[in-house]
Amino acid sequence: MNASLNVTDLVVEYVSNGYAVRPIDGRSLQANEGELVILLGPSGCGKTTLLSCLGGILRPTSGSIVVNGTDVTALSGAQLEAYRRETVGFVFQAFNLVPSLSARENVAVPLLLNGVSRRDALARADVLLERVGLAERGHHRPAQMSGGQQQRVAVARGLIRDPRLLLADEPTANLDYISAETVIRLLRELRDEGRVIVVSTHDARLVPIADRVIEMAAEPGASDVDELAVHLEAGQTLFSQGDHSELVYMIRSGEVDIIRVLADGSEERLNTFGAGQYVGELGPLLGFPRGATVRARTDADLTAFGVRQFRRIMQDRSRRG
Amino acid sequence: MWLLTWRDLQYRKLRVLVVVILAGIIMSLLFLMTGLVNQFNHEPYGITQAIPAQQWVLQEGTRGPFTSGGVIPPSAVGELGDTARPVAIGRGGLTRETASPKPIEVMIVGLPSDLLSNTVGRGILAKGRAPQGTDEITIDQRANVSVGEAVRLGGAQMTVVGVTKDTTVLAGVPIVLTDLGTAQDQLFSSREVITAAVVDTAPAMPPAGTIVRTGDQIAANTLVPLKNAIKTIDFVRGLLWVVTAVIIGAVVFLSALERQRDFAILRAMGTPRRSLLVAVALQAVLIAILGAVAAMGLQALIAPRFPMPVRMPPSAFLTIPLGAVVVALVAGAFGLRKVAGADPATAFLGPGA
Repeated sequence: MNASLNVTDLVVEYVSNGYAVRPIDGRSLQANEGELVILLGPSGCGKTTLLSCLGGILRPTSGSIVVNGTDVTALSGAQLEAYRRETVGFVFQAFNLVPSLSARENVAVPLLLNGVSRRDALARADVLLERVGLAERGHHRPAQMSGGQQQRVAVARGLIRDPRLLLADEPTANLDYISAETVIRLLRELRDEGRVIVVSTHDARLVPIADRVIEMAAEPGASDVDELAVHLEAGQTLFSQGDHSELVYMIRSGEVDIIRVLADGSEERLNTFGAGQYVGELGPLLGFPRGATVRARTDADLTAFGVRQFRRIMQDRSRRG
Repeated sequence: MWLLTWRDLQYRKLRVLVVVILAGIIMSLLFLMTGLVNQFNHEPYGITQAIPAQQWVLQEGTRGPFTSGGVIPPSAVGELGDTARPVAIGRGGLTRETASPKPIEVMIVGLPSDLLSNTVGRGILAKGRAPQGTDEITIDQRANVSVGEAVRLGGAQMTVVGVTKDTTVLAGVPIVLTDLGTAQDQLFSSREVITAAVVDTAPAMPPAGTIVRTGDQIAANTLVPLKNAIKTIDFVRGLLWVVTAVIIGAVVFLSALERQRDFAILRAMGTPRRSLLVAVALQAVLIAILGAVAAMGLQALIAPRFPMPVRMPPSAFLTIPLGAVVVALVAGAFGLRKVAGADPATAFLGPGA
């Protein structure tokens, strides 16, 4: 097995509620055969979006994804279907087993729906169920199994075509620690067989088993800037929607507009702030990109603070009442 | 494909059972309506084919002996040659001699005794024998009168000596076959009146004031009063097909809706859209076939108890299930659209998304 994964300058942009959102903005990563990569971050940081791109079920806006020398972003239609079928294995969040099928049928269904004989498909499913320790549960439906067992069935299904790239979305999210440990052990074994395994999770307990960890969310602002004077001419932009957040600004004089940039490039003014008000504090505090553009309405003087300094100011202010 | 389809049917067995029963009931009505229309269309041919004559001579301007009251002069029979035989046909009333007698409307067909014997002998006799005297009749089994029973035909006392089958007209009016003279007495109180003459070959020149029709034309004419009834039944049949489509379409749509996530997962794993479409279409077809099979059983139970005779054409056992499959596929198209639209990207969404 010679699996390798190269993601370069990946951008995913989509329209939500009329404005453009970029859950992935210029992401790059590499993984060699036999590596387990963990995409770590909270909900909404783009982990699942990245997995969808790697799995060929979501087309990125730009950038490239190369798996075993195949540029996935250049594939379309039937080629993508073949890529998903033959190269990638999926383990979905919440198991996503077909409720009407037994465990062995769930594992075998990708083969059955692609023309493999029932006998051969079920025989392969039995082998995989034994591998995940569920040989005796093959005839049970998902509803008759525990969460951990269902997740192991989902892993077995992901392996049915012996894929070189296994993508697992929050594989331990709904499991107790014993079941989670079983699944983690299984992922390590599969990694050791030479696959590239990419796991998205917000569960930091998985980090020790990873060969690579990709932090999907920016760290909350950690700038040491205490105070920095900023002067804007009327019409000058302080920061743009989607920019990385670092500093919080207090307006000393003049006015600034808070502007939402819409999907078609047009702008919508949300508010106007004046002297004594703060702008751009949520992004640095929470680690989010800038949610709006701030532009000077008039000539304006502002003071920029790092997050630590901003917190100090807020604490002092609350102490003073 | 089969597995996915069959397992889903098993998984939703209660719903499938209800739908199959509903579709079965609706389709059994389709069978019965089809049988009824077929009976109407075949009914008059029973008697016209039993009477051994190729041509009928009628009064000019009349439409047929079973639907019009025209008469021709007995002398016309002589003009038509040796093979011509007089016939008297008309509606009458028959009363059984029971404790609470109810008159039964019948179609009296009077034939000369030799023609009467020939007619009864042509495969229509279910029980008994042909009438041989002026006080004997045969009657169709739909009248529910037994051989040997004494009845009153008009004002005359008669004995039923035979029961015939497939001898009704005008949607179930039983035919009474009797001697020509008896029929003339009951219908016209005169032996000088006949309604038609039958001949083996069409005369080169029909007698003045008469027209010549074939037996099939006579039968077709007998259907004219039923035209609206047949149209109505055909309309109801159309409605029944619509109801069948709605029932099957609704269950296929619901099933497709509930399985959107499953389809998205399977699509994400590289399953061609075509395979999933076939799996859902197969489900619609199976429900339609199961419904049709249930309908066949139900119609066999209902038909004997149906107030009108039902003559099921053998072709109905092929055309109705086939029609059901076509209707199921058309109705299932909405469900198929749901399947076709399953976005593999949604496979990564959490439960309830």
